Amino acid sequence: MKDKTCNITFGGTGGQGILKAAEICGWAAMFAGYHVKKSEVHGMAQRGGSVESHLRFGKKVFSPIVQQGGADVLVCFHPEEHDRLKAFLKPDGKDLTDYLEKAKTAIENPRHLNVFLVGVLSAFLPIKTDFWLQAIESVFKKKYVEENKGVFLKGREMGQS
Amino acid sequence: MSKNDTSKKALLSGDEALAFGAYEAGLKVACAYPGTPSTEILETLATFPELDVQWSVNEKVAYEVALGAAISGVRSLFACKHVGLNVALDPLMTSSYTGILAGFVAVVCDDPGMHSSQNEQDTRWVSIYGKLPMLEPASPREAKEYIKQAFEISEKFDTPVILRMTTRVAHTKEDVTLGERVVPPQPPFERNIPKYVMVPGNAYGRHIFVEQRLKKLKALSEKTKFNRIEPGDKKIGFITSGVSYQYLKEHYPDASYLKLGMTYPFPDDKIRAFAKTVKKLYVIEELDPFLEEHVKALGLKCHAKDPSFRIGELLPELIPAVVKGEVKQEKIVAKRKPRLCPECPHWATFATLKKLDFYVAGDIGCYTLACLPPTSALHSCLCMGAGVTFNEGWRKGAPDKKIVGVVGDSTFVHSGITGLINAAYNKAKGVIFILDNSTTAMTGGQQHPATGLTIRNEPTKKLILEDLCKACGADNVDVIDPKNRAEFDALVEKRINENALSVIISRHPCKLLVKQ
Repeated sequence: MKDKTCNITFGGTGGQGILKAAEICGWAAMFAGYHVKKSEVHGMAQRGGSVESHLRFGKKVFSPIVQQGGADVLVCFHPEEHDRLKAFLKPDGKDLTDYLEKAKTAIENPRHLNVFLVGVLSAFLPIKTDFWLQAIESVFKKKYVEENKGVFLKGREMGQS
Repeated sequence: MSKNDTSKKALLSGDEALAFGAYEAGLKVACAYPGTPSTEILETLATFPELDVQWSVNEKVAYEVALGAAISGVRSLFACKHVGLNVALDPLMTSSYTGILAGFVAVVCDDPGMHSSQNEQDTRWVSIYGKLPMLEPASPREAKEYIKQAFEISEKFDTPVILRMTTRVAHTKEDVTLGERVVPPQPPFERNIPKYVMVPGNAYGRHIFVEQRLKKLKALSEKTKFNRIEPGDKKIGFITSGVSYQYLKEHYPDASYLKLGMTYPFPDDKIRAFAKTVKKLYVIEELDPFLEEHVKALGLKCHAKDPSFRIGELLPELIPAVVKGEVKQEKIVAKRKPRLCPECPHWATFATLKKLDFYVAGDIGCYTLACLPPTSALHSCLCMGAGVTFNEGWRKGAPDKKIVGVVGDSTFVHSGITGLINAAYNKAKGVIFILDNSTTAMTGGQQHPATGLTIRNEPTKKLILEDLCKACGADNVDVIDPKNRAEFDALVEKRINENALSVIISRHPCKLLVKQ
């Protein structure tokens, strides 16, 4: 049943660009021809509280949320949230939390963390570069597209190395 | 590619997909007051220049304006969160009798798990109470499809239609195909006293119509493809609706399903027929036993969740325990709690209220977070406007306590004005703080009458709160920036010791607003 449905959990705190990161990933998966579902929370939950977004894509996706122990990849934006979020990760899932530290030296502007982590994440997903770049064009205002493509490619390179 | 390109695919939330569907269905007028998780419906509709879209003062007003538009001959929509429907329930109940001319849909977003709400009420009951058809999409794609059908049903059966989503449908994004906008021919607006003037004699006639309409809608519910039998393993059959269907399909892909997309009126024959085909029948739904009680009333033997699972969301990992009928194990997860932003002007106001050890009647907005420790300086949160009225109520039984009320600017305009007039009229005293950050902050910064800008940020007549408060009968109205701490403290101390009804407008723009 779950043949090749890919499950990703994004998490951290409000204001870190988590929803945007999941958004880029969702558009990329859509351009790649997958059925996509992505869930998030808004409103009061965003006032500096824990923020979580789940992305699932595959041939046919039912639930919009990744169940605990079901994530192939965990993209954690805040070390303090890791304890809680790791419950989502499969035993053999990929945890990108180590890249938080690496990001500090790789990017200058901390506001780029989300797109950088999307770049890292992209290295582990069956979606071609073109679709990722198309996704960045879709979710950012024109004037921010080029800078974000650069940050993305930097992250992608780090993920691949 | 932008979201407004048609004939293309886009990754849209349930709210956005519904807005696109309504647009394609020829919608003309949409009205709402912001409320999570429904806010993005109007925000999306406002991006289409040919639509007439408004933030209304509150849900009652929104419902009436949108219904009026439908009665005048254009397809219209009202959107709210579950508790918003309580405010609009007065027009809703009688609109069931009047019916419509062009299609009218009331979109209601429930919030199981209370991600951003004060209760978990299940709107499905309103369909029985109001004798109105209810559609319940389970995904953004369905939201887009169902809203189109909702307009058709509305016009065919002369009825408002309730379209109910939950947070997990409204805020899930899915790849959705966009289409062309088709505007149906506009029927002529005519006077029709027996239909639109609900005096007793006319209303009696319309009640007869409503009961007949329910029978016809029941027949529709039996045959609509929205109520779908998915044959599978005959050992287990699930009757389900909304996002619960999606979770079940992950766990029990081979079972038989009766997936209900039109949850009222109930398709009794379809339910009976489905029950006959399976050995063990389950009714699995989020929140209240809405389907369960009806299936049991049909005399069918079924299994359902333990009542403890009526509380909170039916998350995917809970499904096996739900199906087994186990009792819910409440787990406390150490989640980071939301809090006021570091530079939020409310901090200053609440620092004073705490220092002076007030009993603070609270209201709905970002500032409700002032209840959290270590501030703990807000002592009630009931509904929109109760910050003003609890100040009056509390003083009845506790005249010796230092009681004040707080209310946000948008909340005051929504439901606080009447409470202030009531206080003045009934000689109540005390201090009401209007925490004026010049936006509807909690839902993401929407405009309202006192900002002087419309939903599309166009300048409009600006409501002057200080003039309004004086007109309501407040003895003193002061406007002050709470960040001028010494001055603010001195003013509060002065006003609290007077035998008067005072309004202090604590005005400082939301820092998120300044960022924009």
